[in-house]
Amino acid sequence: MTEILQQMLNGLAMGSVYTVIALGLTVVFGILGIAHFAHGSVAMSGGYLTFFFGERLGIGFFPAMALAMLVGAAIGVLIERLAYRPVRDAPHINAFIIALGLTMMIEGINLLAFGADQVVIQTPYRGVFKVGGVAVAELRLLVILTACSLIGAVALLISRTKTGKSIRAVAQNRPAAVLMGVNVNRVSAIVFSVSSALGAAAGALVGALLAIAPGVGEGLAVKGFAVLILGGLGSVPGAIVGGIVLGVSEAMAAGFISSAYKDVIAFMVMIVVLLFRPEGLLGKR
Amino acid sequence: MSPRLLRRMGCAALMLAALALPLVVKLPYFLHLIILALIWVVLAQGQNLIQGFTGYVSIAQAGFMGIGAYSSTLLSVKLGWPVWFTMAAAPLMTAALAVLAGYPSLRVKGHYFAIVTLAYNMVIFIVLTTWSSLTGGEAGISNVPRPPDVSVVGFVWSLGDRVGYYYLALIVATLATLLCALILHSRVGRVLVAIRQNEALIEAAGVQSWRYKLFAFVVSASLAGLAGALYAHFIGFLNPDAFGVDHSLNAILAVILGGSGTLAGPVVGAFAVVFLPEYLRVAENYRLVIYGFILVATTIFMPRGLVPLVAQGLRALAARLKR
Repeated sequence: MTEILQQMLNGLAMGSVYTVIALGLTVVFGILGIAHFAHGSVAMSGGYLTFFFGERLGIGFFPAMALAMLVGAAIGVLIERLAYRPVRDAPHINAFIIALGLTMMIEGINLLAFGADQVVIQTPYRGVFKVGGVAVAELRLLVILTACSLIGAVALLISRTKTGKSIRAVAQNRPAAVLMGVNVNRVSAIVFSVSSALGAAAGALVGALLAIAPGVGEGLAVKGFAVLILGGLGSVPGAIVGGIVLGVSEAMAAGFISSAYKDVIAFMVMIVVLLFRPEGLLGKR
Repeated sequence: MSPRLLRRMGCAALMLAALALPLVVKLPYFLHLIILALIWVVLAQGQNLIQGFTGYVSIAQAGFMGIGAYSSTLLSVKLGWPVWFTMAAAPLMTAALAVLAGYPSLRVKGHYFAIVTLAYNMVIFIVLTTWSSLTGGEAGISNVPRPPDVSVVGFVWSLGDRVGYYYLALIVATLATLLCALILHSRVGRVLVAIRQNEALIEAAGVQSWRYKLFAFVVSASLAGLAGALYAHFIGFLNPDAFGVDHSLNAILAVILGGSGTLAGPVVGAFAVVFLPEYLRVAENYRLVIYGFILVATTIFMPRGLVPLVAQGLRALAARLKR
C-alpha cells in the first residue's frame, strides 16, 4: 500500500510536468491550429539553458529557470514569425511537417551547443519528509507547486485579461476577430511566447527531476500530445486529468512492471483510451 | 510527340541506364550507396502512399522497416528458414502488425494520427533495444545471411556480390514504384486522393474512409518491411539504431523534397537523402540542423517538391522551343 502511494506521488510530480507541456501544446493548437511538435525540443532547450545559467552565472534554480523562460519566449516568437507564419494559409499538413523539421533543427542545435551527455540540474532542494511511511521529496513537492502556479497563471491570463480575451476571440473565429480589430499577428506571437516559456519551464523541471539528453524532447512532445488525447482537446481540466493519468500509470509501470518498458505502457494506456473513448476521458461524446 | 509518349520513353531510358549502371560504376562504395538508395526508394514509396496520396503523415516508417528487418533476420538465423522465403514473409508480418496498429490510430484524425504512429515507432525501438534475448539488443545480430544464388539454365545470379544484389534492389524498387502507380490509377487511389482533399466530403458521399486509410497504412508499412528485409540481408549486421524516429523523419523528408503525391518524387527524394550526407560529411555534426532546415525551407518555398518544379520548368522550356 505504501509502495502504491509512493509511486502515485512520484507519478503526480511527473504528471504535473506533462500537464505543463500539454498546456503549451493545447494553446497553440486550439488557437492557431498548429500541431507544434517541436515543443518538446524547445522544452529541452529550456532545460539546457537553465542548467547553463545556473552553472555559469551561479544563480539559483528558480532565477535560472525564469531566465530560460524568457529566452524560451523569444525562441517561440522567432519560430512563429520565421517558420509557421509563411504557411499560415497552406494546408495544415505543411505546418506539421515544418514542426518536424524544426524538431530536427532544434535537437541538432541542442546537440551542438550542449553536447550529447546527459545533464542533471542540481538543486538545493534535497529534503525528504516522511508522511505515514511515504517518503515525500521536497523537490517533487516543489515541482508540483511550480507546475500548479504556471497552470494557474496561464488560466488567469486567458480568462481574465484583455490579451486573453483577444486570444479567445481568435480561437473562436479568426475572420471575425480580425474584423473586430484584433491584431492576429500580435496574438500569434503572444501565444507562441507563452507556450514556449511554459515549455522551457517544463524542460527545467524535467532536468531537475530526471535528466535531459538528446532525444528526450521528442518523447516529451509525444507525451504532451498523449495527455491531450487522454484528456480531450482544448480543455484545461482535461489536460490536468490526462497529465495525472499518464504520469501515475507510467510511475506504476516503472515501479511494479519494468522501468525499461514504462514508456511502452504509457503509450498502451493512450491507445486503449483511443480505442474506447476516442474523444478523451473528459471529452463530450 | 505527346507528353505521355515522351514520359514513357524517359522511363525506358532511365531503366536501361539503371540496368547498365554496374558496367560503368566500378567504385564499390558508390554502388553500395546506390543499393542503399534503392532500398530507400521502397521505403519512400511506402511513405508517399500514406503521406503524399492520403494526406496522413505517418512517423513510423523506420519502425516498420525494423519489424521487417528483424522478422526476416530472426526467421532465417534462429529458425533456419530459407532467406528467399523469409524476405517474402517480412512484408506480410509487417502488414499483420500494421493492421493491429492501424485500427486504433486511424480513429483519430489529422495530426493525432501522426503522434500515435510516432509513439509506435518509439515502442518498436524500445522493444528492439530492450528485448535482447531475442534481438541481441544494442550489440545486435551479426552475420545476417545473403539470399542464396539463383541459377537459371546455366546463368548464375549471385546475390553474394554487390552487383547481383544491386539488381535485386533495382527489381524490388521498380516493383514497389509500379505497385504505387497501379494503386494511384485505381479506384482505391482516387479515393485516397479524395481523402487528402476533403475527407468530410467523401464520407458524406457514403465512402467508409477508414477502410481506405487502413489499406494505405498497411501497404505503406509492408513496403517498409520489405525495405527492412532488403537492408538487413544486404548490410549483414542488424541493430536497432537504423530504426529510430530520426530515420522516420528522413523518410518524410525524402517524400517532401522529391515531390509528395508524385511517383517520381520518392525516387528522387530517396537518392537525395542517401547521398546528401556523403557530401555533407565535413559537417557531420551539423547534419541534423541541415536536414531540418531543408525540410522547413522546402515546405515553405517549394511545397510541391523537386520533381513537379523540374517538370514545370521543362514544360515551360518545351513551350518556348515550340514557338
